[in-house]
Amino acid sequence: MNFLNVEELQRLFLFLLRRIFQSIFVLFGLSILIFLLSRVLPGDPARMALGARAPQETIQRLRDEMHLDEPLLQQYQIWFTNALGGDLGDSLRTRRPVVDDIVEFLPASMELVLLAGVISAIGGITLGTLSARHKDSWIDNLVRVISYMGVVTPAFVVAIIFLTFFTTAEFGLDLFPPIGRLSSGFEPPPRVTGLYTVDSLLAGQFDTFVNALHHLILPSLALALGSLSQEARITRSTMSDNLTRDYIAAERALGIPERTVTGKFLLKPSLIPTVSIFGLDFAANLSNAFLVEVIFNWPGISRYATTAMLYKDLNAIAAVILILGVTFIVVNILVDLVVGILDPRIRLRGARSD
Amino acid sequence: MRKLLVLTLLLLLVFSAVAFAQDGERQLRITFSWPTAIDPAAGDDFSSSHALINLYDTLGYPDKNNEVQPWLAESWEISDDNLTFTFNLRQGVMFHDGTELLASDVVYSINRLNDIGEGFAYLVPDAAAAALDDYTVQFTLDQPDPLFVPRLLRLYILNEDLVRANYDMESTLYGEHGDYGRNWLLTNSAGSGPYMVIDYPLVGYLEMARWDGWWNAENFVENVADVVTYVDTTEAATVRSLMLNDELEITDNWQTIEALQSLDAIDGIDVKAFRSLTAFYFMMNTRLAPLDDVHCRRALAWAYDYDQVVALEWPGTVSMIGPVPRNIDGHTSDLTIYSRDLDKAREELAQCQYADNIADYPIDVHWISQVPAEEQFALLFQANMADIGVPVNVLSTPWGTVVENASTQETSPHIVTIYTASDWPEAGFMLQQRYHSSTANTWQQNEWLLDEDLDARIENSLLIMDQEERYAEYASLQREIADQAYSLFLYDQRNKHAFKTFVDWHPEENSGVMGYQIFAPFIGVDS
Repeated sequence: MNFLNVEELQRLFLFLLRRIFQSIFVLFGLSILIFLLSRVLPGDPARMALGARAPQETIQRLRDEMHLDEPLLQQYQIWFTNALGGDLGDSLRTRRPVVDDIVEFLPASMELVLLAGVISAIGGITLGTLSARHKDSWIDNLVRVISYMGVVTPAFVVAIIFLTFFTTAEFGLDLFPPIGRLSSGFEPPPRVTGLYTVDSLLAGQFDTFVNALHHLILPSLALALGSLSQEARITRSTMSDNLTRDYIAAERALGIPERTVTGKFLLKPSLIPTVSIFGLDFAANLSNAFLVEVIFNWPGISRYATTAMLYKDLNAIAAVILILGVTFIVVNILVDLVVGILDPRIRLRGARSD
Repeated sequence: MRKLLVLTLLLLLVFSAVAFAQDGERQLRITFSWPTAIDPAAGDDFSSSHALINLYDTLGYPDKNNEVQPWLAESWEISDDNLTFTFNLRQGVMFHDGTELLASDVVYSINRLNDIGEGFAYLVPDAAAAALDDYTVQFTLDQPDPLFVPRLLRLYILNEDLVRANYDMESTLYGEHGDYGRNWLLTNSAGSGPYMVIDYPLVGYLEMARWDGWWNAENFVENVADVVTYVDTTEAATVRSLMLNDELEITDNWQTIEALQSLDAIDGIDVKAFRSLTAFYFMMNTRLAPLDDVHCRRALAWAYDYDQVVALEWPGTVSMIGPVPRNIDGHTSDLTIYSRDLDKAREELAQCQYADNIADYPIDVHWISQVPAEEQFALLFQANMADIGVPVNVLSTPWGTVVENASTQETSPHIVTIYTASDWPEAGFMLQQRYHSSTANTWQQNEWLLDEDLDARIENSLLIMDQEERYAEYASLQREIADQAYSLFLYDQRNKHAFKTFVDWHPEENSGVMGYQIFAPFIGVDS
């Protein structure tokens, strides 16, 4: 790496500060929007939480507890003040602090989405590169067909297909466990990050690590396939464009080996659009994982959020949307940084505008 | 490429070795629709009832004839004025932590349930409870209640000391009781039942281990499960994979007819359909034109094809006769029984005040989006009503909207399609929850009867001490409700579960009260 001198570090720091400052406003706006939207969803949340036969006084107690009879502005004020202190309220469905729910369910989804991200990045770039290097050959055509299928097939359909063919001996190979994060008989590892694979390695529990990874593969593959296909197409397209550039012809003329040309001079600049799309896909997967989580009985945040919407679990809805908002923002900042590393012109442009 | 292939093969080998390690425990795994609340003062739905019954004991136990048999209580006496109930508790009953269950625990449990007011609190009267000694508990009522003992089947006895030790005193919700142990009881059990919680992360699964110190352990069936797991899914593809993979013994009762038929066709899997206390209604808003005219309502009732309705359900399903399912005590068949008769339908329609311009009054039928099978009944209704010239709009409505709509007369639709279960197999309970004004703003009653006379008759019928007289009054109420065609009575629902044939399970030998059909101590697992 030939950047990150003191001046650039300063610029990076300022860039981060600026983005974080902007993000605060984005999150504030998001919190108002989601607070209002969740309250116009049909259904009395207290009645839905307590059931048709709960006495009116019990319903009223819950309404009072949640300040549901206060004016909207006051409700928001109370919620916002508590949220600043780290209290996002109680979930109407699980009946415990939403923060506890998030701590429980977010790592499960993160683990899924992280592995899906790794699979889609490696798979997408590899397939895209192969396709570009063998443009218009049978390899290119094969990757094209696979990519189109991956893009148009929703993740839950892929999940059902995987479940049917790779978890039972009826149609295919009984290779993977159908549901959950660990097999029966395995204790979750001592909690550090909440990611079972990481925590089990930290605790030196190799059996648990293998079991957790075994459970992760099918759902994350199902989730990854759409973004993998998209990234493969984009990588292929950008690389094909760059292949015709003069500097590539010059490097070839200088006798630089093809592998070096592709790996060092062609791939790097071609990855910029892929990385941008990857960032969006990664964050979107966190909220799109709902059906995959349902099918694999995965106790994740996406499933939690969708159920919260259906049952008008106000605090849970607001908290999860904020978490998703933060994830989008963080991932996008990271993407900007990576794009800066990949393309010096963007860094230089950034420097001039500063 | 070769390296990649070798690595993949190695990984698969490791996975296989780890994945198929078996620990030799006898397991009973059942899928359920979530959430499952295991706090006795919170849970009251299908999965929660099944969990509570396996984790906690109650004073009595309902047999297949719905008679309450001694359980924690060895006997009980009722005073001559029917106001005082004295229960003599079995001695030596141990909670899961090894401490003894005493009368004070019973008093604590009813007080906690009524203070919190959720779950089954609506069913258990707020009676004054007192522990006369360690093994005698007395309840005093304000007015006689012939159904007090059955109501106590929803009083699950908690270990007072254990719950108190887990109060969150930072909460001020219940005064001196802090949070009443609610947070702790979300994921833990404090009972004396045949199973105890070993792992409950709130979603995903509920894992329970057999409690060999159970007072009735000698009656565990020989091959009873060591571990019972409720699995949080009803997704058909997942359920099917689990069954095929020998990771599920009994499915939930929300599988579609097609899914069940497909499972039934697999060797080693069978389907059981057995009685329930649930019925399927088209609830008609009697305050909304043209359904505010009894003749219009009757016209719809005579025009609907009930034979076609049951043909869409699992074989053996039967049409309802009147507003109360036929396996509920106090049901009567001596009332107007509607069947498809277009002549009668047209006759009634002619008498309806909206007959001349009925086309101007399209009837909206809301079916619940989360239960796709309901749509076919709504479409059949639409087609049947076209035969008498009544226009029908079929609308898919999410459950949240159904609940919201039900809260006011103005927003309640003409018809909403709903399954509802009686709390106890006695007609008065079903009549109360379906037609009494107390449920008029809930999803349990779209009819909006708000009829004070009817309310008083329902309330009084439930207080009649003599069973024969009580049933006669129930019959009279059913006749009136059928005659007025407040609802369309579609069918008595049967619970349907696919199960592995090695599971020795006889739900029909148990009471129809929700939760008792999957009572794990009496289910054998032969695999």
